[in-house]
Amino acid sequence: MAALMDTRILLRKIKDLRSLTPRRNRVKTKWAGSLPKYPATNLALQNFDATYKLQLGEQWPSVRVSLLCEQKYGALSNNFSDNEGVIAHLQSQGCRDIVSCALDVGTRGMAASSHDKPTSIESITVSPDMPTVSLSPNIKCLVFPRRDVSRFKPSRPDAHGLLGYYLMDAASILPVLALDVQEGQSVLDLCAAPGGKALVLLQTQAIRFLHLNDISWGETERDTFDRVLVDVPCTTDRHSVKEEENNIFSRVRTKEKQKLPQLQLELLLAGIKAVRPGGLVVYSTCSLSQLQNEYVTERAVHLAREELGISLQVADLRPLTQLFQDTFNFAPDPYLGQLVLPHLTANFGPIYMCKLQRLN
Amino acid sequence: MSFLPGWHVLRWTLRSATCTVLSRRQNIPQQPVMSTCRLYCSTDRRTNQPSLSPKQLQPGRDLSLQALLDMGFTDAQADQILEQANRSRGSKIENAASMLMTLFVLGLNTSSVVKVLQKCPEVMYVNGTHLQQRIDNLRRLGLLEGSLQRVVSHYPPILTLPLKRVNMVARFFREKCAFTVQQVTEILRDSPAVLQTDLGQLEYKFQYAYFRIGVRQPEMVKSKLFRVTLDEVRCRHSFLERRGLYQTPDKKGQTCIINPKLNDFLNVPEETFLNDIAKATQEEFEVFQKLMAKEWQEEDDEQERDTGADSDDDDDDEEEEEEEDLKSGYSKRK
Ligand SMILES: C[S@@+](CC[C@H](N)C(=O)[O-])C[C@H]1O[C@@H](n2cnc3c(N)ncnc32)[C@H](O)[C@@H]1O
Repeated sequence: MAALMDTRILLRKIKDLRSLTPRRNRVKTKWAGSLPKYPATNLALQNFDATYKLQLGEQWPSVRVSLLCEQKYGALSNNFSDNEGVIAHLQSQGCRDIVSCALDVGTRGMAASSHDKPTSIESITVSPDMPTVSLSPNIKCLVFPRRDVSRFKPSRPDAHGLLGYYLMDAASILPVLALDVQEGQSVLDLCAAPGGKALVLLQTQAIRFLHLNDISWGETERDTFDRVLVDVPCTTDRHSVKEEENNIFSRVRTKEKQKLPQLQLELLLAGIKAVRPGGLVVYSTCSLSQLQNEYVTERAVHLAREELGISLQVADLRPLTQLFQDTFNFAPDPYLGQLVLPHLTANFGPIYMCKLQRLN
Repeated sequence: MSFLPGWHVLRWTLRSATCTVLSRRQNIPQQPVMSTCRLYCSTDRRTNQPSLSPKQLQPGRDLSLQALLDMGFTDAQADQILEQANRSRGSKIENAASMLMTLFVLGLNTSSVVKVLQKCPEVMYVNGTHLQQRIDNLRRLGLLEGSLQRVVSHYPPILTLPLKRVNMVARFFREKCAFTVQQVTEILRDSPAVLQTDLGQLEYKFQYAYFRIGVRQPEMVKSKLFRVTLDEVRCRHSFLERRGLYQTPDKKGQTCIINPKLNDFLNVPEETFLNDIAKATQEEFEVFQKLMAKEWQEEDDEQERDTGADSDDDDDDEEEEEEEDLKSGYSKRK
């Protein structure tokens, strides 16, 4: 292929064309040539092309285009606000609550465990050989249907200044649901800022004590919590291919990026130490990277046993993900944990989660 | 044969088109009479060999049903043409006869003429002389027998465009986009609608292909780039690019992956594009198109905000824009 000519030749007066042409179609004075030479987003893409093509094979192109396109949001209903009208309005626009849909999927055709008194947790047995899944019906997250690319309007405060809903990646409620919080439990959110998943946790209205932590984790409270969420810093894949600002692939952050798996491992181990025997830890990231997902989890389980004497059991998340098949596009054969793969028809994620139960 | 003065269009050279003239509704003879006349085209203005019957060629006469039947139209076709002609409120109706004859001379048969008028009723009102000039001009631009008739049948509005416009677009392609004369002919042949497209849009599409897709003029022509809407071009290209299947070549023309040819992803039906090139589902592409439309809309809105109020007060003065800066160009590569 012949070399591209210098784009400067294109610098010309475009005034007369403007009124004829929709703005975006107007002759440009500059094409790609003027962009920074090594934008971090490009570096991220190169890195992902190299690693994810191997990891995801034929699925990678579909995931790649989804990462590069507008993501889909979910509207997490704020139970503490007066939002019935707002929610009804969203429903009239075609939104549906993915949690109640999942509950429907679960109860349909399956033997649902009966409840004598209403509680904040509903239990579902998906199939006879699968363990029971419990979902908090208090968590409501509304999304537009598959293939629908409508956007939510920003939520407006009610009479008391409370927002009716929060917009977030709908897939990020999954790690919280996986945490399976029961009435009256104590929960640690180890990497809480900016607080998205903490909000989801609060919606359950089941938590007796919620400890929110970020950055400085002193190892003071061992063997304490019923539930620990370890939502670690990661390569934030979607952000990294789209935004230059605060991009972990920028040259200056190379070291930090290289140290991520180590930091993630340390954080997960800290979470494992903080949970009580019998309690649950959910590890989650918003990256597709096996190095940051499966390998970290595997290594943590190994180190916990070898060095801390803590045995962990990896819980099966399929009963949970089966309930959300219609909403999310899960990676087909994960060998450890579950991964929501972005797809244009359901552009949520990526979200990785792995659930560990501490045995002793 | 008598030849009417002033109808200089009828300076034809012989060409091998035939026109079957069916006369019906005539008193005598009762049976339809078939007569064949040779038709001529006007590549050489000095030659003077008309051979159509004067009755058919008479320009000033009313466009009567009989005249149309004499020309070989069926009853239904004739009625249709008359109805159309009458809509023009009489004033220019005398053009119709000369216009029709010019089309016959071009080599179109009655049914093609009817189709032309159906597709583009405005042709009805084009003065015969102008029509002939426009046809001559298209020949001058390289549309030769066969191609010329196909273009006219396929895209009759081409006959309604002033010479000035047509030549300006041809010149734009040559001078601004560095297409060769031959390539311009091919563009006009394959995508005559460019003649009615805003030049700014054409240039944008060209630039998009040149800089973003990274293809040269011959490939643009081969893939019939100008037949595809800009949105479609960008959708298919961006879809491949975002899937990691297409890269803009660098300054040396190199890429890390092997790009599919523009011709293979643009000049094929969507199904082929999706199955063979993008390897994606139709569902994905459908959503992608919706998302792209939104992205572009937002780009527009953003630019709107950036450029502010001063941007919309310029008039569209094609001529001026044409004169200006035509010298800047793109390297020609064959
Ligand atoms: C993916 S974000 C958490 C998002 C949050 N869970 C939510 O849903 O909104 C990761 C967080 O880990 C925090 N972090 C980084 N290093 C940490 C450390 N050593 N200890 C605890 N938190 C840390 C970062 O400040 C960042 O806010």
